[in-house]
Amino acid sequence: MLCAACAAVTLHMPAQRRTDLWFAVVLTAFSLVVAVESWRMPRLAELGVNPMSAPGLTPGLLALVLVVLGIALLWRSLRAPTAPDDTATVVEGAADDPPARATWPRALLALLLCLVYALGLLGRLPFMWATGLFVFAFIAAFSFDRARPMRALGGALLMAVAVAASVSLLFEQLFLVRLP
Amino acid sequence: MRLDGLIQFAHAIGAIATPTGLFNVVWATLLGMAVGMMPGLTATLGVALLTTLTFRMDAGDAILILVCTYVGAIYGGSRSAILLNIPGTPANAASTLDGFPLARQGRAGEAMGIATVGSFFGSLIGMLLLVLIAPQLAEFGLKFQSFEFVWLAIFGVVISGRITAMDDPIKGWIAGFLGLLLAQVGQEGIHAYPRFAYGSTDLAGGLGLLPALVGAFGFAEILCVMKQANYQTVRDSGRRIVPRLADIVGRWWTILRSGVAGTVMGIIPGVGEDMGAWVSYAAARRASRDPDSFGKGNTEGLLAAETGNNAAVPGAIIPVLTLAVPGSAPAAVLLAAMFIHGIRPGPLIMVEFPNFVFEVAAMLFWASVAILVLGLALTRPMLHVLRVPRDYLMPLVFVLCVVGSYAITSRVFDVWVMLGFGVMGFALREMGYPMAPLVLGIVLGDLLDKNFRRAMVLSDGSLEPLLTRPISAGLGLVTLLVLLWGLAPVRRAAGRLFGVRR
Repeated sequence: MLCAACAAVTLHMPAQRRTDLWFAVVLTAFSLVVAVESWRMPRLAELGVNPMSAPGLTPGLLALVLVVLGIALLWRSLRAPTAPDDTATVVEGAADDPPARATWPRALLALLLCLVYALGLLGRLPFMWATGLFVFAFIAAFSFDRARPMRALGGALLMAVAVAASVSLLFEQLFLVRLP
Repeated sequence: MRLDGLIQFAHAIGAIATPTGLFNVVWATLLGMAVGMMPGLTATLGVALLTTLTFRMDAGDAILILVCTYVGAIYGGSRSAILLNIPGTPANAASTLDGFPLARQGRAGEAMGIATVGSFFGSLIGMLLLVLIAPQLAEFGLKFQSFEFVWLAIFGVVISGRITAMDDPIKGWIAGFLGLLLAQVGQEGIHAYPRFAYGSTDLAGGLGLLPALVGAFGFAEILCVMKQANYQTVRDSGRRIVPRLADIVGRWWTILRSGVAGTVMGIIPGVGEDMGAWVSYAAARRASRDPDSFGKGNTEGLLAAETGNNAAVPGAIIPVLTLAVPGSAPAAVLLAAMFIHGIRPGPLIMVEFPNFVFEVAAMLFWASVAILVLGLALTRPMLHVLRVPRDYLMPLVFVLCVVGSYAITSRVFDVWVMLGFGVMGFALREMGYPMAPLVLGIVLGDLLDKNFRRAMVLSDGSLEPLLTRPISAGLGLVTLLVLLWGLAPVRRAAGRLFGVRR
């Protein structure tokens, strides 16, 4: 019901305010749950522990501060649009030429490939194989729109072999680090 | 500085001047420069990854490598700021304002030379102030008890949240308090009760700081970088690289002012190098006879920004050494690295490790020399780093993130923490939440928790000592003022009251 109410309220909002409102709702709900969980934590009174050193004290208070901040963000998001805060003294970047167009599918593809490698391949395949496969797939996936795809695939294969071999040897032999 | 301090400092400089020491200085600074140059790879990520990969090394060598990487990365970011109009690290954002217009005028080489010299002097000024201030601050820190540390932790996240999110402080504060809350997961430090563990031994062990940082600054950054379509290509660097002596000598006041301003911004918890650069840049513009030329290729603006951000590096290390409170995100990693290597920074540093402050200053000295020499000598070869396609680089960075998170405790759970913080960091960044207060919160969470509960036990639940002890009251008052300064209605009311134009 809360979600439906939020969806109705946010229908005509600018994107940033809509995001703020949703995040404020999630943050407030999460912080309330944490506050309740902190309250429910054992006070260890049976061990003669001073109630002021109860484990739930600090997380509970921090959760309450986040509840207040969440409500403040919620209240601000629901208010009528106001003029931007012109007291800000920092101007980010020079940006005569904006760097580049942002595309969500690229980020999601990168996220998917990284998760498959870290959660799916590692542990099931030897580190060198899993790493080689991941590097090849990553480069190949982002090179499919290149002018010369075969050359890109060749580069991906070369990079995959180089990274898999060098990371394994360098960290295992030189830095004496255990690999996943 | 007392004479014995000077002698210890000279000894420390000499101790690093061995073939192994200098070899470490050169490769770590070069690696830091390369990391800083590449958009998407930050100083925090570089230092975090190297912390995980050098933890089996001798403490002195490992900290030297981390300090050189830190200084190199903050300096290296100026290259992409000048050549691509993209700050290599957030600390170099102010350098794009005049650096990129200089490159467009065909003076990229000169701009890189000025940035190099500015970074060198900035690091040196910061280093000198570290040697002067750190022992005094550590002595002052000895007066701190639990009540003062509580305010210090709260002040840290409040000021960091305020300054890193100037136009929307509430988001900075949410990030900071979220960091403090996330640090409460796992066994607490007084009764060893596993909070929010729900029977999981992994959660009872807590969320590792380094995997969290590698995720928030590495994995999140990979996603941010891959979200963008391709950047512009590298421009020609021009002929002149070494700046004219007159250009530097004539601007000694800008260098000194930016060095001091950068160091002071570095000392403020969780504020760091980017604000060091912005404040120095703003001060140079205000003091200039020709402020309109700033943003159009003014070499003084670039000099101020680059001096300011590198001066903030030693500045951020000052509270790390003396109060165990990091001045910036990379300094937070350095603090974690010191703990890993058995060094306990804090007010007792001059008692327990009396030489360490001077050793760190000597490391900063060599890192400064390295960026000057390598920066001027390898200007053109280093440009090749900027030509590495991101599609090729990012999978390698992710592999290092995975290896780095796993390396310290060999727990698969740490890889999950890295992934979780990466996705969370990416989402928070996309929504406009700064990362520095989050990191500071994670670092200060344990300090706040232990000291708050100890303070409450000591005062039998009374908050009065938090408000009546002199240092505690002072920190509380400053925190309150920062909070009020962040509230738009208060600022408007103050503006009306004092007739300040908004």
